[in-house]
Amino acid sequence: MVKYLSKEWAELAKKKVLTELDKARDLKNMNTSLLNVIENVPPDNKTMYFYIKFIDGNLEELITGSDESIKQKDAEITATGDYTTFVQISSGQMSSAMALLKNRLKMTNKMKALTITKPIDTFNNCIKGIQTEY
Amino acid sequence: MKLSDVLETTKKEPHCGLCKIDFLETGVCPAGKKHGFVAYWPEGRMELARALAENEVKPSAALLDVVNSCNLCGVCDRQCYFITQRRPTKAQQALKDYVTTLPPDALKPTPEDEIVRELRTIVGNNWATNDPIIVASYIRSIIKQKSSGKYYIAMPQTTEEIVAIVQLANKYKIPYLPRGNGTFFGVALQTLLAEPATIEQGIIIDLWRMKDLHVDPETITATIGPGVTSFELQKAAHAHKLRANVAEAESCVCANAQNLGIVTTWSNTYGWGTDNFIDAEYIDSTGTIQHLSDKDIPNPYASEQGLLSLSLIPSVIITKLTLKLHEILDDEEAVFIPFTTLPEALDLAHELAKRNIGISLAVLSRKYLTEFISPTHEIAEDFNYIAEKYLKLNYIVDVICDTQSKKIIEELAEVTFGHAMLKSLILGSSKLASMKESSLLKTISEEENPLKAVFGGPMRKHFEKGLANSPQELAKVFPEDLRAFFEKLYSKPELTDPVWLHAFRILPCRMERKHMWMYRGGYMPGDKKTILKVIDALEKPAQMYHIDGAFGFLSYLERGKLAHLEYDYYYDHSDPEARKRVNKAIVESWRRQFAIKGVTPLEFICSKGLHRKEHILYPFLPGLSEEELEHFEELIETLFGGEDTW
Repeated sequence: MVKYLSKEWAELAKKKVLTELDKARDLKNMNTSLLNVIENVPPDNKTMYFYIKFIDGNLEELITGSDESIKQKDAEITATGDYTTFVQISSGQMSSAMALLKNRLKMTNKMKALTITKPIDTFNNCIKGIQTEY
Repeated sequence: MKLSDVLETTKKEPHCGLCKIDFLETGVCPAGKKHGFVAYWPEGRMELARALAENEVKPSAALLDVVNSCNLCGVCDRQCYFITQRRPTKAQQALKDYVTTLPPDALKPTPEDEIVRELRTIVGNNWATNDPIIVASYIRSIIKQKSSGKYYIAMPQTTEEIVAIVQLANKYKIPYLPRGNGTFFGVALQTLLAEPATIEQGIIIDLWRMKDLHVDPETITATIGPGVTSFELQKAAHAHKLRANVAEAESCVCANAQNLGIVTTWSNTYGWGTDNFIDAEYIDSTGTIQHLSDKDIPNPYASEQGLLSLSLIPSVIITKLTLKLHEILDDEEAVFIPFTTLPEALDLAHELAKRNIGISLAVLSRKYLTEFISPTHEIAEDFNYIAEKYLKLNYIVDVICDTQSKKIIEELAEVTFGHAMLKSLILGSSKLASMKESSLLKTISEEENPLKAVFGGPMRKHFEKGLANSPQELAKVFPEDLRAFFEKLYSKPELTDPVWLHAFRILPCRMERKHMWMYRGGYMPGDKKTILKVIDALEKPAQMYHIDGAFGFLSYLERGKLAHLEYDYYYDHSDPEARKRVNKAIVESWRRQFAIKGVTPLEFICSKGLHRKEHILYPFLPGLSEEELEHFEELIETLFGGEDTW
């Protein structure tokens, strides 16, 4: 069991994606970078970041933390929401697209996001298998 | 009486919410008025009876209170029979009988938890609950059926109380969702939109108590709270000889303004979205009170368009809205122009829209006309058959205008009729239905132009004479114990006054007498070619999935530059197979509509009513490309799963 958004969790997530997902079949050779801004993270309601970058379907970066330098990364899409929403997404209770419809997420560059709905959903489904402590 | 005896009725209950307003001057359910929660209103009692019959909820002490609060006075039967031909007292009787079968220890109070305790501190002990029985009455009108979430209901009375509730929800990290009268939910929750339109757990903020209403005749405005319904606002405005541009009688004005921008037949003159109001007070997700008129807020009108704009849950809670009202002219009257084909009706209506003729202007279907004005669904069906087969009456250009405009319309149109004929059709609808095989109708149908013969030619006198009927005669179609009431009701001039009926909109829920419906359509350029393409895009999916689909009505905006179309899919929402077919037809209809330039399906307008139409409906977006449609399909699959799961 690893703590959600911890370095250990990020390492496991990266490993899982690299070993379990096919870059063409599952990740559609996508080229994108996505910054998740996770607000009100307990216990002290701080903001954390979860950044991923894919080049041709290869996971190049997967970083988590509260370091401002992550926020400064060049992200094509930014998704902002509450901790509870990201827990629901990461644990497979709700897709990010559904969170968007329910007004739980704010997202920039939705047109690009639309084109990668499917591979991002596959990515989320993959990492939900991590034994996580929320 | 057993709960199973009324299950067919309770399963089909449409949650129209009309029982909460005094639209027939009968008064409203005394228990509902006293306790507020949906469980105490006829609508909620019917839902409770269904949920108990289908073992979706266990009885608690609150059930006894709900059951005992009703003395079977019968007000709800009068209201509900007028609209949906249902009798809620039967469900209530079944609940009373059910309670007597329960062992005494079955009705235990529900323990308070910390959240409900804090909610009660905010809104008062009587106005917050976590009791599953009270919660169950909100199923299918804000809670998804078979949801396992933990819910609370809170009924605030002030803006400050809502702020405190939002802050409480944030403290406990649980979602919240406001509820007006649940009318949008009543329709959407029977379809695949149920998931994105509801909350899976958390606090339901029932806004019914927030009924502040102030009309200012000097500025010709009204300032209202979020619990005020369209009927209540219209009634207050009419007292000052003013009119509000409002949706169906039962809808809460603030919720409707926010969700759909207020769609009416008056839109060509009164507008849409921000055209309707001057200022709004709202609470954001942090619990901060803001006003649209505040200078420091980010641009509240910026919005995405089309496919990317789908969001079924509003981002803020409106707590006060200042709306524009409109003066009622002394010489307003109704003019109806009947047509056999839709293109002919669209040609005339568009011409009138461009010239700004008609305060209210719409193209209405035969189905709407017959269903709205007939006292029962069976009569409506016969009327519909006669209109189609004998009269060749399929569409009506429906106008409320002044005397000058009436003259222009009469010059432009070959045949028109007005108040007197509509009154004859309303009071004579049962007689007309009985004339299905009459020689008079056969003779009319053999005329070269039956519409002209009936409404403008020598047959008009015979037709009107044939229909001549009194409220006493019409009342015979109602159950015996309700006849005296309906005779008195139909003697009131407003019940046969088209101008009043257009303003107060008490009839549309009659569409739900037999089946539920799902609103299709949306906004589009006002040219005939696009409109007909969109109708085809909605009709084809209905045919593909064996849904009963029908054109409802069309109104214009911006002097005919834009049109709003409602096309309906009718289906039995208590039948899982029918629900699946409707879901498939909805997805197919989105796909087809998005391929047409400038078309925004209604769902993609949701939560955009506080925006300017200039940002939502302009510029006309090109139809989606093949590649974009593929992404759209992937999005649908991500949201709702594969086709088999719909």
